[in-house]
Amino acid sequence: MWPRIRESLITIALLLPGLGLILGFMSVVLYFAISQSFGQFNFAGDDNWTMEHWAKILDDPALWASFRYSLRIATLSAVLSVSVAYPIAMWIRKPFRGSTSVGVSVKIPYLIPGLVAAFLYVNMVSFNGILNHIFLALGVTDEPFRMQNDDKAIGVVILQVWKQTPLALLLLAGAVRAISDDVIAAARDLGAGMWTRFTDIILPLTLQALQAAMIIIFIGAAGDFAFQTIAGPRSPFSMAQLMFITQSTYSDSNYAAVIGVLLMVMALIGALGLAGLTQLAVNRGRYQ
Amino acid sequence: MTSTTVNRILIGLLIVVGTVWIFLPIVMATLWSLVDPSEPWAYPDAFPRKLSFVRWADLWNTTQLPTAMRNSYLLAPMAGAATLVFASPTAYAFGRRQFRGKAVAQVAALLPIVLPGFVIAIFFSSILIQLNIFNRYLSILLGHTILFLPYAIRILTVSFAQVPQDLIDAARDLNANALVRFRSIYLPLMIPGYVASFIIIVILSIEEFAVAFVVGAPDFTTIPTILYSNLSGYSFVRPNAAVISLILVIPNIIALVFLERLLGSVEVGSGTKG
Repeated sequence: MWPRIRESLITIALLLPGLGLILGFMSVVLYFAISQSFGQFNFAGDDNWTMEHWAKILDDPALWASFRYSLRIATLSAVLSVSVAYPIAMWIRKPFRGSTSVGVSVKIPYLIPGLVAAFLYVNMVSFNGILNHIFLALGVTDEPFRMQNDDKAIGVVILQVWKQTPLALLLLAGAVRAISDDVIAAARDLGAGMWTRFTDIILPLTLQALQAAMIIIFIGAAGDFAFQTIAGPRSPFSMAQLMFITQSTYSDSNYAAVIGVLLMVMALIGALGLAGLTQLAVNRGRYQ
Repeated sequence: MTSTTVNRILIGLLIVVGTVWIFLPIVMATLWSLVDPSEPWAYPDAFPRKLSFVRWADLWNTTQLPTAMRNSYLLAPMAGAATLVFASPTAYAFGRRQFRGKAVAQVAALLPIVLPGFVIAIFFSSILIQLNIFNRYLSILLGHTILFLPYAIRILTVSFAQVPQDLIDAARDLNANALVRFRSIYLPLMIPGYVASFIIIVILSIEEFAVAFVVGAPDFTTIPTILYSNLSGYSFVRPNAAVISLILVIPNIIALVFLERLLGSVEVGSGTKG
């Protein structure tokens, strides 16, 4: 009995500084966020438990515009990033001369800070940017286009894909490489074409890595602030931007907390939902 | 077509895409950082009329840039060291001990990555105000340490798990205590894992924006916050942003070379692919 208790105590003692710190900090942050959204920690007036800040969301079209917008950006970014990463992962599955360099060069954007990426992008698409010069030289247009801060948020999605594809590749390349050659050769012998091999073998066998990549990218894009403020449309705001503005410009920290909690819920449920849908789609495609 | 030919064509394609995707943007940024203030670079000029290092000197002499760099470069190694210290025991438990609920604990350790960083930053800052804590440096250091713990825990868990059990048994047979075992067996074998975690956390800390911006603003600047103030809205000063961007990027590209080697050796040691 005693040795077992002793072992458990040692495990707990080992977990405390790392996992304990994470759990302690995160619980305090979550507790603060949730109770602030119900009227506690009110910087401007008295604290009292109330639903009034939550009631405001019922009649706030700007909030829902931001909600839908962030949801859309997050979904698009996650789906597009893995779509770009899959073909590359399959290409470098088997080592060939230059495959390491391919892997390294594709990873470069991961090491470029988000703000710098946003700046590089804005530079490319600006009025006097190189893209406009190329269009002018090719005769595509007589006048430069205005592409910066486009209303459809194409810039934000391009930036997310640019920055997140390396992460997706990192996860997918490992999973794709772990599939044994025999399995793929067997499928080929049975007459499976490239697309069938992808949908019936590679996708199901790499599903977990695919889901992990989509979850991380979705959550990151749902909570984006930097890309949105630099390269995004002037309206609507992203959820993180709306939360920040509500807090700093309107000093309404209780409502900012409501937006923050909504954002966290949306990011988690959205990411898990997307992972679930992916699983359904992969299984379905397989049995057809 | 042989697969070598296909690969050559694909590599050629990648070089073209990579040029547009990565190389051109960095060249553009470099050009912008060298635009001389006396001759602005405006449409329809495809190239700046006059190049000089005046912007670099100006930013260095007249803005908060030196302070921001000092803050960032002081903060990042401290965050790296603190994270490694706090992560090691947990990574040891994950990598070498069996206990109930380990899988759940490993998922829970990912929490800081799974919640949106900006949300964490805003509430972290509110909590600090409630607690009357106004030391920006220590606050951001704490924030970075917790945000980056998951990365260090993951890498070190793999490193700990890779140390061969017979070496540890042998040391134990020779009556080596826990400290000696750690110093003479674990540590030498785990140096690649430790160095890789340290470099990754230094990079993440230097480029971290949300916590540094929300907790540090307005008086504590780091390189990303000063970049943001030169990028957003009406204060967009393109040549200045270009200079600061390059200051942020160049060390990372150097670090990438080291990381590839280190992580390569970690992977080789694990005997698994990917």
